[in-house]
Amino acid sequence: MLSLRFAIPTANTLIPSKNKPKPGLVVQSGWNQTDLLSSLPKRYDYKLQAATADLTDGRASMADKEVELPEGLSRELMPKHVAVIMDGNGRWARQKGLPASAGHEAGVKSLREMVELCGHWGIQVLTVFAFSTENWIRPKVEVDFLLSLFERALKSEMESFQKSGIRISVIGDSSKLPTSLLGLINEVEETTKNNTRLQLIVAVSYSGKYDVVQACRSIAERAKDGQIQLEDINESLIEQELETNCTEYPYPDLLIRTSGELRVSNFLLWQLAYTELFFAQELWPDFGKEEFVEALSSYQQRQRRYGGRHS
Amino acid sequence: MDFNKESQILCSWSAQIENRLLQLLWHLIHVTIDLCHFPLRIANVLESYLISWGLLGRYKSFHVTKLRYLAIVVDSEEAYRTSKIIKLLQWLEAIGIKHVCLYDYEGVLKKLKDFILEKLDGTILFWDAHENDVLSDSDQQHMTLEFVSFSDGKEAVVKAANVLFMKYSTSGATDQNQKDKIFTESQMSNTLKTVGSGGPEPDLLLVYGPARCHLGFPAWRIPYTEIVHMGPLKSMNYGSLVKAIYKFTMVQRNYGR
Repeated sequence: MLSLRFAIPTANTLIPSKNKPKPGLVVQSGWNQTDLLSSLPKRYDYKLQAATADLTDGRASMADKEVELPEGLSRELMPKHVAVIMDGNGRWARQKGLPASAGHEAGVKSLREMVELCGHWGIQVLTVFAFSTENWIRPKVEVDFLLSLFERALKSEMESFQKSGIRISVIGDSSKLPTSLLGLINEVEETTKNNTRLQLIVAVSYSGKYDVVQACRSIAERAKDGQIQLEDINESLIEQELETNCTEYPYPDLLIRTSGELRVSNFLLWQLAYTELFFAQELWPDFGKEEFVEALSSYQQRQRRYGGRHS
Repeated sequence: MDFNKESQILCSWSAQIENRLLQLLWHLIHVTIDLCHFPLRIANVLESYLISWGLLGRYKSFHVTKLRYLAIVVDSEEAYRTSKIIKLLQWLEAIGIKHVCLYDYEGVLKKLKDFILEKLDGTILFWDAHENDVLSDSDQQHMTLEFVSFSDGKEAVVKAANVLFMKYSTSGATDQNQKDKIFTESQMSNTLKTVGSGGPEPDLLLVYGPARCHLGFPAWRIPYTEIVHMGPLKSMNYGSLVKAIYKFTMVQRNYGR
């Protein structure tokens, strides 16, 4: 389901292994393997077969096929955790004279592409702001559509997540979500919990203030149960109870917000203290590989100059 | 067999040529993008100077009252450049900004508070002029300043959380309703004021520093704040400041709608 734009054979499967591919060559994987295999000289078949053998295994499925990064990007400086505020679907649709639903559908495609790129480029965690607590005030029709779109996307992509080694986590206030969606979320989280290639955290009905308050509630519960003493409560304890405790890397290194808006809109407030903020002009459905490379380049350039200032 | 070998070599050559062409195309695209960006950067610098000289009409008068509360984040290493800080505040006063919050992580500006206030005639502390953090619409003659550091951020939230925990544990009630009444966003906001770390939510936050992040500014106060990175303090210029404020006044916000 994670479709690609190009089907360019890898250089290192068509020449002997002693010749390394030049840096800067963008390598795509996941093309129609039957077509490629039939066109390859037979003695090179084994390389491709060996490299793609793990695609059916959810663990580190694409690790063997190291993908070259675009020109100017360094794997060592790649952020571990990227967060995205996917803004602009509605405006995109209005600009094209389409209903808002078309904008959201287009947004899902952009998300698919970004998930794939993150998986290829060694980013460990991708957190996306799909639906905020403030979005509940939108027209009911749009809210219902968004939640059903999310449900459909989860159902249709579950197998793909498993094959690609993607772990899904959903954060946010689940009390307002439909029961069917809650059940599906639990199923997807359980099914993908052992995947290690990339963790995709989807924030639904989430706000940064809600996250802090729910962390305090959890701590109060634990204090009531005698698990902790009130004097033990500190920043670290609050951080452990935030909803981002589902990941090894709870603090984003880079936050991208699309559509030209310059605010974080109540997203991951506690977690963003030292996050590089990148505000992109493009609307989310138009945010693709080039724009993502630009954001990563900006991040990496800053890391080269100022990395390690705040450990 | 020779034919097979030759065809394999041909396949390999054509693949290499194809890859070389793709690489060339990629480099050409990058060079084109860089060439496009360079004039844009020059244009931005030129625009800043034109704004400083008052030659661009639209920047001469705009609705600065829309910007009710401005926050400035400064890298702590640059916070010692007091002449720059004072110059920046004088510019803001000249533009008509009434309330400014100054932040640096280590609290250097807090320590220099008295020195800064002394250098700016008539400027007073925000909390001396306002009992609560409600911004009045009445004409205010003097600019107010607030000095904030990292201790007013996460540490303050921990203090406020502890106050709420005490309230919960001493209430005697342990049911879910009581917990839901005590641990709410509005209770947290009120308690932050109680522990001395309240304050209005800035409309605009300007970051003067090498990194494009807010360096731990009290996160509870900036859920909907526009954040603009201005570059290092040493390179600050009046034109960029005016442009950032002007752009803010043109923004329309939907708040999730």
